[in-house]
Amino acid sequence: MALDLGMPILVVDDYQTMVRIIRNLLKQLGFEDVDDASDGTGALAKLKQKKYGLVISDWNMEPMTGYELLRHVRADDALRTTPFIMVTAESKTENVIAAKKAGVNNYIVKPFNAQTLKTKIEAVCGA
Amino acid sequence: MAVSELIEIADYITKLKRGIAALRAQELTRDRIPMAHDELGSVVTATASATNSIMEAAEAMMVIEARTLDEYRAQVEARINDIFEACAFQDITGQRISKVVDALGQLEKRLSQFSTLVNVRDGEAEVDAEEARRQARRETLLLNGPQLKGPATPQDAIDALFS
Repeated sequence: MALDLGMPILVVDDYQTMVRIIRNLLKQLGFEDVDDASDGTGALAKLKQKKYGLVISDWNMEPMTGYELLRHVRADDALRTTPFIMVTAESKTENVIAAKKAGVNNYIVKPFNAQTLKTKIEAVCGA
Repeated sequence: MAVSELIEIADYITKLKRGIAALRAQELTRDRIPMAHDELGSVVTATASATNSIMEAAEAMMVIEARTLDEYRAQVEARINDIFEACAFQDITGQRISKVVDALGQLEKRLSQFSTLVNVRDGEAEVDAEEARRQARRETLLLNGPQLKGPATPQDAIDALFS
């Protein structure tokens, strides 16, 4: 199954620079429909308004962290199947396992490149 | 209370006063800590500004429209020069961070000398409810940020968990 380059993607990060980096990488990969939010609360509001094919989220954000957002998404009947990739600067094994248990589809350690992002999107959204 | 005990207490108080004076707490709160705060704030601003300049240059290069190769090269070179200029932030931020590291070193040295002088151990300080709530949230929901010397678990090991 080829990647659907038209699928809407939601990028969630409190650092606008990181949002811009991910947006550019996604653009490089061919994705054009990219929205962003600066924390889990804003992301959840957007997820309820539009159907996204993928969420790419940072973990450390306030007031709602990426981990809390993930749990909200997985607990919501309408959102629970939305593919979710966590992107974070910290990678302690226990945190990766906690995210996996909460239902994350993949986990990327910052910094990363376009190829890593592409591989993970393919793994999560099917290539 | 015996006179010898009173002398001992008086000596301890004198030593304590000397230790407190050596901390130079007023200098720390008046000069060094605000300086560290300002320097780190400037570092954050400078790195954000440099990153934006570099990204703007890169984004501009991605959409260059030129009629000839020479025109294309000239536009790329102009943007590359913008990137070189933006990278100058590293020298300045390096100097700012060195000042903060030096201030922290001073603070650590003084606290260590004070703690040795008065011979006290860490006690249980009273923490207000809001700080306790924030601390609990930090411990349970937030991560600690990037690790020193690279990630704790490499991407390959994480990939293995998801394969």
